[in-house]
Parts: sequence; structure tokens; C-alpha cells
Amino acid sequence: MGLNPRVYLAVAAVAGLIGATVIAASPAKTAPAAKKSYGFVVSSLFTAMNDSKYMDECPEGLTESNDERWLRNMTPEQREKVTAGGKRTHVDRRLAAALRGPNGEDVCWNPELVKDPPMRTVQSGTSFGMNLDGTTDGKATAKSCAHQKFVGVDGTPAVDNQLFRLMGCTKGWRSDGYIENSAQTERLDISQGIILVEVTDVDDTRNDDDVKVSFYRPTDKLLKDGTGAVLTYVSYQIDPTRYGDTAKGRIKDGVLTTDPIDVHLPFFGNVVISEMYLKDMRLKLNMAADGSSAKGQMFGYYDWETWWDYTRKIGLAVIARHSCPALYEASRRLADGYPDPVTGECTALSSAFKVEMVPAFVVHPNIKTAQAH
Amino acid sequence: MIGVSLRKYLRAGLAGVVAVALSSCGPKEPAVSGGSTVVRQITEAQYRNIIRDVFGSSVTIIGRFDAPGREAGLLAVGASKADIAPATLERYDNLGRSIASQVMEEKRRANLVSCTPKAPKEADDACARDFLGKVGRMLYRRPLTSAELDLETRIATEAAKARGDFYAGLEFALAGMLVTPQFLFIAEATEADPDHAGLQRLTGLSKASRLSFLLWNTAPDEELLAAAEKGDLNTKRGMERQIDRMLDSPAVEAGVRNFFSDMLGFDAVEQLAKDTIIYPAYSSTVANDLKEQTLRTLVDLLVTKDGDYRDIFTSRKTFMSRQLAMVNRISAPTETTWVPYEFAENDPRSGIQTQVSFLALHSHPGMSSPTLRGKAVREIFLCQAVPPPPGDVNFDNFNNAAVAKTARERLTVHRTNPTCAGCHKVVDPIGLTLENFDGMGQFRTTENGVPIDVSGDLDGQPFEGGVGLGKVLHDSPAATSCVINRVYAYATGRAAGRGDVAFIDYLEKRFAADGFRFKSLLRTIAESDAFSTVAAKPASQSNKVAFDASGHKELQP
Amino acid sequence: MTFLIPRKPTRRSVLRGMLGSAAISVSLPFLDCFLNTNGTALAATGAPLPVRFGTWFWGLGQTPGRAISNKMGAGIEFLDECKALIPYRDHINYFSNFNTPLDGKVSQVHFTGWVAARTGEAPGRDRDVRLPTLDVLVGDLIGSGSRFRSLDVSCTGNPKDSYSFRSAGAPNTAEVSPVSFYARVFGPEFVDPNKGDFKADPNVVLRKSVLSAVNEQSKQFVSTLGAEDKARIDQYFTSIRQLEDNLAAQMQKPEANAACHVPGLPVEGQIGTEVGFAQTNHKLMTDLMVLALACNQTKLFNMLYSDSGSSLRLPGTSQNHHNLTHEEPNDPKLGYQVLSAKFATWSMEAFGYFLEAFSKVREGDGTLLDNTFIFANSDTSHAKIHLNDNIPIMTAGKAGGRLKTGLHIDGGGNPLSRVGFTALQIMGVPVEAWGSGALRTSKPITEIMA
Repeated sequence: MGLNPRVYLAVAAVAGLIGATVIAASPAKTAPAAKKSYGFVVSSLFTAMNDSKYMDECPEGLTESNDERWLRNMTPEQREKVTAGGKRTHVDRRLAAALRGPNGEDVCWNPELVKDPPMRTVQSGTSFGMNLDGTTDGKATAKSCAHQKFVGVDGTPAVDNQLFRLMGCTKGWRSDGYIENSAQTERLDISQGIILVEVTDVDDTRNDDDVKVSFYRPTDKLLKDGTGAVLTYVSYQIDPTRYGDTAKGRIKDGVLTTDPIDVHLPFFGNVVISEMYLKDMRLKLNMAADGSSAKGQMFGYYDWETWWDYTRKIGLAVIARHSCPALYEASRRLADGYPDPVTGECTALSSAFKVEMVPAFVVHPNIKTAQAH
Repeated sequence: MIGVSLRKYLRAGLAGVVAVALSSCGPKEPAVSGGSTVVRQITEAQYRNIIRDVFGSSVTIIGRFDAPGREAGLLAVGASKADIAPATLERYDNLGRSIASQVMEEKRRANLVSCTPKAPKEADDACARDFLGKVGRMLYRRPLTSAELDLETRIATEAAKARGDFYAGLEFALAGMLVTPQFLFIAEATEADPDHAGLQRLTGLSKASRLSFLLWNTAPDEELLAAAEKGDLNTKRGMERQIDRMLDSPAVEAGVRNFFSDMLGFDAVEQLAKDTIIYPAYSSTVANDLKEQTLRTLVDLLVTKDGDYRDIFTSRKTFMSRQLAMVNRISAPTETTWVPYEFAENDPRSGIQTQVSFLALHSHPGMSSPTLRGKAVREIFLCQAVPPPPGDVNFDNFNNAAVAKTARERLTVHRTNPTCAGCHKVVDPIGLTLENFDGMGQFRTTENGVPIDVSGDLDGQPFEGGVGLGKVLHDSPAATSCVINRVYAYATGRAAGRGDVAFIDYLEKRFAADGFRFKSLLRTIAESDAFSTVAAKPASQSNKVAFDASGHKELQP
Repeated sequence: MTFLIPRKPTRRSVLRGMLGSAAISVSLPFLDCFLNTNGTALAATGAPLPVRFGTWFWGLGQTPGRAISNKMGAGIEFLDECKALIPYRDHINYFSNFNTPLDGKVSQVHFTGWVAARTGEAPGRDRDVRLPTLDVLVGDLIGSGSRFRSLDVSCTGNPKDSYSFRSAGAPNTAEVSPVSFYARVFGPEFVDPNKGDFKADPNVVLRKSVLSAVNEQSKQFVSTLGAEDKARIDQYFTSIRQLEDNLAAQMQKPEANAACHVPGLPVEGQIGTEVGFAQTNHKLMTDLMVLALACNQTKLFNMLYSDSGSSLRLPGTSQNHHNLTHEEPNDPKLGYQVLSAKFATWSMEAFGYFLEAFSKVREGDGTLLDNTFIFANSDTSHAKIHLNDNIPIMTAGKAGGRLKTGLHIDGGGNPLSRVGFTALQIMGVPVEAWGSGALRTSKPITEIMA
């Protein structure tokens, strides 16, 4: 794949520091304009799945899992044995099921050792997403590989979302699936992978053609109320050592959109600490006029390496119900962005995410006093 | 600080002439008629402070204390009327045993037991006597009588023999000391007062206790006890020297905090409940922080800055924690727990009556209460009594209150019903000015979609909002008179009576002359003759006392 | 096996017995320890099962016409709000139309009512409880000889919600947490009365002697006080004696009782004024209470389900039970306050649970309920108008056969103190009259006296 995420991380860290300094300094310099900042903490983050009740988008059915492949290659006697007469559930078998390499290797860590039948993927024509490659037909460009387009859920033509195409038929990743939901719950419960968003340089929350949007990680624990809902107007100090990418943006009729940037975001799910590295990321947020809420979508090319890193580490292929070798193969085949200059193989998946945020105060390290807003 | 060191200098050096000249500038203390002694049950904070002072802060005190009832607006006066019920004594007994056992743990006893026994498995009269005498003097705030010391030593000896362990003996004796009335009650002793014929005065040791509990909210330290034992506290100079020392010590913060915790009714924070569906931001951390915010504000203004008491109603300076910042909708750095904060000039919050502590404490669990808040302003800040709601009121007229959108509309019914109007007219117009803070003290501009009107008045003086209320309180002679009465009652353990009128009057003049400096008020009271002079025959006081049996009962909102 | 109680064992012999070989001569004011020379305690003497006394309280009374029918005499007809009591109606007496004359005193709302019912005196001012409450008077008669003089519980989360007073300055504050209640009764110091190998804890003996010494010291201390101060802290001395007494009780084996067993540690839930918390904690602490009684840890109890002027509330609503009683409109069709009535119904469901728990504990031929006198009352009748007359009062249990039950008694406007007075007489407290002012009475309600 050729890309080393560490390099990107280092660059991003520096960018983050600079970004933070600039933001901190700006209010003082632009005193007369009285530009405002609006902080948010992401309270909900889901891969945007346009999946339907009757699974019309998956005519072949849902994907096969490691477990199913594993059992399929056994004699009835062997199956009887490894399932203890059917008493051991697929969850209990999840570790063993992954060890189906020729020499008992873990196929999630060595997905090229075994060749499974192709993964079942989305066949329908509509999806959440944005036209990321600029084409109407998905033909290859300097920045993309050839792929199929979707019609947006809202009717927008030619949107890209290969991540949905890839995962839309995998039980654990669908809207009611375990993987996405447990990742969301865990983030809130243990305060990991929390994203702070700060919209600065705002003159008018309804219409403003020049605002900035920065992304941080808090060093403080997320605060929730007794029902588990994320509390509003809580102060969070940013982690100045990581993250902090800033995008330019504008607000039109209360909808904030940003110019594409490559952004690193903290990510956590299913006990895996990872990160989201989205290239060409764009945010589209409906912001309340007083900044008391924000809800919208995030689009971009999900860097395959960071995505695969998370996916294979979660060790829940059996619960997610996918086969690691098939997923590995399909994900590389469906990747549609950022072709490797040497191999030509694409290194990122077009994707869309649903985000919800609650108002928060984003506190920069140089701020040592409490402040009214 | 300059004032204090000048005083010290004067006392140490030129003494007489200038000091006399100084005191003759201001109002003079009127002739004393003599107060009465009181027997106070030590409070939870005092108990904790004493144990910490004597045995160190590593000794944990886990257990519930039963607070005395509130009398004359103060638990400190209630403590002079409180007695110890069996369940309470059982708790003290458990606490005492737990403390004694911790003190005698191997890791602690080396530092805490003043001598080494001849053999650890055997009784050692001399060593036990030494330890119990020293510890007893701190716990009882006076040297033990020889009979007391004999008895304690005997307990230690017998228990040591029975258990085959010297320290076990001390443990039993110490646990016993911690349930004696000598420890649990602060009793005061008197002697003839040579300066005031026909009157008594507190003995030096009893003075030491009054002083120490007033200024530090703990038992006298070694230096103060020694001064008392030497007779220093029977001289004006000796008293002043100790008062200077104590007021200069950081420990005075604990004293000031305790006084205001008491006056502001912060004991109720422990029982404070908010409906977390209506107020999701409420938590036990918020409850703790709201109290802390106000106490920090007061200590900063009145002790650190030696500021004007009246500014507690108008000061925009306070402190913020992360949780309170959330309630106030401001940002706060989170790397330190508390940061100073000043509300903007146009902010609806200034003064402690607009802080979350006051607003949340005097509200219902799920809504604000102008009635409770107005009542609290009168009772807490102005020392005025508000009568309880009448009995046998038919609330049938109140059915239409259910459709009212704002508290003002709801309460109109009460203020127009002749039976209720008497009280509601006295309290609601004050409380309604704080209505732009909800039941947990969060700012709002509307209630049920209707804009909130925060106009009101205090005894005919109109004003707007909590800031306006603060200005009125700031300029109210009743507010300064109130705190004087409270501090005096707090210092002496009894509400000021008829015989104290002239003295209170004098305190009012002195307080004004001293720029309403709270520390000066403490000093004036502590240095006064009234503080330690006792009528030859104790003023008659009822031994039938009131007690807040049912917790804080609410007025109709 | 039955031991005879030696009248006065010598102190030497006691200690030699207690502490084995250690040769001690004790000059401490050890009190009589009811032990034999082997250091084993004196076991059951075949005494009849003890009669217990306790109170149950709920705030804000009942809705007129919804709790009980007007039919008087045998066969109580409970209505909707008291449905939960129907299974126990033969074990209950319900007292209607007993009034609270105030002698011209101002009614202290949510205070006068319970104080009058429990002390026989209408208070002159708020927060002033001048006379001891019923339970304390009964406790002076039956309270000694148990590990705990009394066990007091409040389900509101506020320990000050206790209506047990000897004097105004010293209420018996309540336990509010099931876990600490458990720890207090069934913690390490609990002795199972049904276990054979009882040996008094030598530490208890020492503690008791220390307390005796404290008591001795206290007398010296008191001698330095003026008469008023001395009187003021009188309760302390009673408390010290009672604590000694409790320790003396622990030096003997508690009476065996087949119904006694050690319950499991309750799970700590939430504590506070939410009605759901109060209901749960009431159940948990009721379950513990009946076992504490069955295990002879105490003969006296006070259970408070909700406080006077109930502060219980439903989550997510701005009005609590108390505010509701005043501000909730009458339902135009039903003619009463629907939500307030629900709270009243929940109160009686809790009382029903309480009685169920007592009736489930088998004792001899009957149940714990048969051997208990429960005095239950509220603070008002119709809360909406703060009415002090016709405050609902009930008794439950048969007090070991001394109390006739199953009756709806018509007070005909008599003072409500007659109920408390009758309770005292039934419990054997030697009083010929009780209460003060217009509430003073010397007329027991003989219909319920067996």
C-alpha cells in the first residue's frame, strides 16, 4: 500500500500545533470584528449506511463469516467436536474460527493466506455520500480508480461511497449491527476516540462565507448525565500534541460546509484505539443559530491502512459476520481514491459518516482563565 | 496586613499611649452586663478538625454525624441546645473506636504515642498516663483533672492486661475519651471577674475554646492552651496577641468558611436533590462545587483581600470549576480544579445571591421557587423571620395555577388570596427577581416560552434582577446588622438577647468605622468584654428547645 | 439447656471467666454481667416471645372518600387507596374521626398533626417537640436487654426524617441506606441467636466497662455544670446508659428464634426522594427490619416511608407530592386529584408490604405480626387543605394477644391522643393519663384492648 501513516501523523501533529496557536491568537488581533467561536463535542458518529429493512441492497444476502467458512471445510464429525455438539456458540468460537490458515494461522492477520469466495457487497443504487472524484460516471482519474457511482439518498447524482458498497451487507456494520453500535457506546462510556470540533471566525451563524473548522482530541473525560446523554457546555482542554487539523468553511442558511482537507481524527471502537484518516474530508453541518446543536455528515476518502488496521484488530469478525480474507480482498478491490503512484492500486475508500454534536467549550492550552462566551 | 503589623508593633513597643489613642478614635464598647455560658455539642466539622489536629489527617473519619437543629439561623446556636440521642451516641462510639484503632496501628503509634512502653505486651502506667494526659488535654481543651487522669490510666492498664497489649489498653481508653461529655460537649467555666464587680468571666481555658472555635473552628492549639494556662488570656494584651496570631494564620480561613457554611445553610447541600431529567447537569460533583464556589468567593473577598462585607452582594469575582462552568455556560481550563473568574459587567450574575449555591438550595427539585428564595433572602441575609404557611387553607382556588406559564403568574393567586397574601407579599417580590435562574441556578430568559419578568422590590424599594437585588442588599443596614448578629451568636453560642442591644449597636458602629471588614468584626467581637463576661447568675434560658425535626419544610411556592 | 441467672457474679469471677487465664483484679465500675463462670452466656430462659412495638409513618394522609368506607365496627371496608391493606384487614384497626384540638395554638402545617399523634401535645411553634414520642416511652419499658434500643429507618434519604424524640434537642436520627442498615445490624458484631456456641466477645466486656467509666466521669463533669446545663444534656446520660445496656445485652446470647436468619447484603441502589427509590428502599429495609426483630436484635422500631408533608416525587416532574396536593386540579370527572391520590395509594401499598413482611415471619403458632404492635399514622387527613382533624391512624398486629384487631373505630371527634394512650396502656407503660392541654386523655379505647 506504500503509505506510512506515521509520517502523516507527524505532519498532522505539527499542523495541529500551528493551528492551535493561530486560533488562540486570532481573537485578540481581530477584536473589533467580535468574531465568535462555537465549540462542539461529537456525541454520535456512525458510518452512514443506507440499508433497508428487507435488505434490498443485498440481493445475495448477508456476508459469510470466518466462522461459516471454517465450519464449511470440516467433516460433520469435526464440526460436532469443535462446537461441542453445537453447544459452543459462534461467539465462543470466534478465536478458533480465525485460525484457518494452512498452518493454523490467523486469517485476519494474514488475509492473503486463504482465498474465500468474493464478499457479498451492496448492489443497490442509492447511498449517502458526496461526489468526491468530480466525475459523473466514476471513471478513473489521476486521483481515483474506476468505480460505480450511487444516486444520493437526497437525489444528488453521482455520489461516491465505496465504504457502504463494501460493508453494507455485513451484519455487524449495518445500522442495527453490533460493531457500529458498540463502538459508539464505548466511545461515550470510556471517553476514548472523542472528537472536538471548533468553528471559529464566525460573524453570523446563518450566513458567513469565511469560517474555520478545527478538529481536536480532548484531554478531559467526556461528561454525561445520569441517562448517559452527553452533557452540554462542558469545557474540554484540547490535546496539543496530536490532531488539530483546520479546514476553511462557509455557512449558508445555517448549513456549514468545509473545503476538502486531509484530516486525522481520534477514533475508538470495539476496544481498539485507532484513528480515522480521511483525505479530502468535507463536513456538512446543520448548525443551530445559537450554536446549541449541530448535526450533519462527514465525507471523504478513508485511508485504507487506518481503516483496515481497525477492522482487523477488533477481532470480532465472527460477531461482525465477515470473512477476513474476503473483506481484505474486496476492500482493496473497491478502494476508489488515491491511487498508489507505483502500483496504481487505490489506497482509500470513499465514505460518509453521520455525526451529531452537542455544544462544548474547546479550551486551548494557552487559555488559563475561565471565559464567558 | 499593614494594619495588623502596625498593631503588633504598637503593642510590642510603645504600647499604651498610641494604642489608647487609636481605640479612642472609634466607638467605645458599652458597659457589659454579662452574657451566659453555654454547653455546646461539638459539630461534625469541629470533631473532624480536632481529630486531624491531634492525630493527623491520615486518620480517616468515616461515618455519619447528626447535625444539630438550626436555632436563630445557626447550627452553632442549635449546638447549644442539642443533646445526644442513643442512635447518635452509638455513632460516636463507632467513630471513636475506629479512630482509636487507627491511632494505635503500628504505622501511626510511633509518632502519636508520646512514650515507649517498657514492654509492648504489658501495661505501663507511666507511659499510658503520659499519653492520655497529653491527648486528653487537647481533646478536652484543658488539662485532665487528676481524677480523670487516674481513671483513664486505669482503663488503659486494665484493658492492656486483659488484652496483653499496651497499645490495646490505650485504644480502649482513647475510644472511651471520644465518647465522654468532656469531649463531645464544649462546656464553659467561669470565675469572678476582677475588672467587673459583680460579674463573672470565662476562665482562661474557656476563653481559649471560644476564641479557637470562633476563629479556627477547632480546639485551641498548644500555644493558645499554654497562654490560657499561664493566665495570659486574662489580660487585654494577652488576648490581643493571641487574636492577632490567630487572625494572621491561614487557619482563619477554616473558621470563616465554617461560619458562612452555617449562616448560608450549606449543611442542606448534603440532602440537596435535583431531578436529573429536568436538570441533567446536576450531579453530586456539582452539589459539592456549588458550595465550594461560594465559600471560595467569600474567603477571597473577606479574608485574602480583607474586603468589605457588603460586596458579597455585588462582587462579580468568583471561582470556577469545570462542572460549575458548565452550569454557568462559560469555559474553564480543566488542568486545575478551580480558577478565578470575574463575571462581565453586564452579566446577570453578581453577588452570592446569584450564585448557583443560593439559587439551587432555595428551589424545588424540579423547579425554581421565588417563595423559597425570597424567604431565604429575608432569613439568611437580613435575619428577618418569615412566618410559616397557614394551616387549613383551602387550595381550591389554586386550580387555575396549573395553567399559568410563569412562576409570577402562578404566585399571583397566592398573593391575591387573603390568607396567603401576608407572607407571599413579603417574599415573592424578592424571589421573582431571581426567576431568570432555574431550579438549579442556570440562566434562562423564558419559562414555558414566555419571557421572564425579573422586576420586584424589597420593602417598597424597586429593582430588577439578581444584580439589582445585590445592590439593594449591599446598601441595606439590615444586611450588615444581620451578619453582626450572626457572628456574635456564632461566637457565643447563643442568640443576642435584650441585654446585648447596646453591644450590638456598638458593633454596628465599629463595623462601619472599620469599612465593614469582616476580619475586623471578628477581632472586635473577640477582643470585647462582652465576648467573655458572664452574668453572675446565668441568664435564664429554656431547656426545652426547638429542633428541625422534619428537615427543611417548604413554604408553598 | 437452661442456666439460672446468678444474681451478682463477682467482678473478679466474671473477668477471670471472660479473659481466661489472665489474672486480673478489676477495680473498674464493671456492671453486672449476666454470665456464668465459664464465660458462656446464659441462654434462653424459656420466656414467652417478646412483644415488639414500632411505628410506621407516611406523609400527606389520604384522599377523603377513597381510603375507607364509613362502615364502623368489625369488618373494615378498605377502598381503592387502601386496596393493598385488604389482606391484612383482620390484623388492623383503623381510627376515623379523631380530632386534634389545638387550644388556640397556631397549626404548624405538616408538623402539628404528627406531633399531636405521637406525643399527645399540639406543638406551640414549629420544630418544637417538647414531650417524648410514644416509641421512646414504650422503649423505656421494653427497650433494654436488646442489642439495639431501637432501629429507626427513613426511606426518603434524609436521616433527619425521624419522628422519634426523647427531647427536642435529640431526635433519634434514621438510617437511610439499606447497606448501612444491614452493616449496623448484621455486620461483624452480629451474633446469630440460633448458633449454639455463644461466647461473649471479650472486647464487648471491655467496652462496656469503659463506658461504665465514662459514665462515672460524666458524673464528675456534670458536677461542674449549672443546673440548666445539666438538665440540657440529660439525654446524653440516658444514651450512655442505654449504650451500656446494649453492650450488656450483647454479653448474653440473644433468645433463639427459628425465624431468624442472616439475610444477604442488599445491593446499594439510589437513595433520595424519587418515589421509586423510596419504594425500593422501603422494601429492602422492611426485609431487614423483620429479620432484625426475628433475630431479637431489638424490640423497637420506627419506619418512615415518606416524610411529613411528603417530599416524594416522580422523576422528570417539577411538582413533588406535597406541591401536587395543593396545586393539582381536581379531575373534573373523578372529582379528586388523580396524581396526588396515586401517591397516597403507593403509600398504602408500602404499608401493605410492611405488614406482609411481618406476617411472613413465623413465630411459635403465629407470626411476627401477631407479636407486634404497629402504630401507623400520617400528618394530615386531607392534605390539600392541611387538615389536622381526622388524621388517619391505624394499628396493626396483635401485640402478643393484647390488642384486638379488625375494627374500624369511630372517634366521634374525640382527641386523637386516645389512640396513643391506648397503645401505651396495651404495651404496659404505667400511665394513667397522657398528653397535654385539650389532648390530655385518660380514656383508653377499650374496644381494642383484649
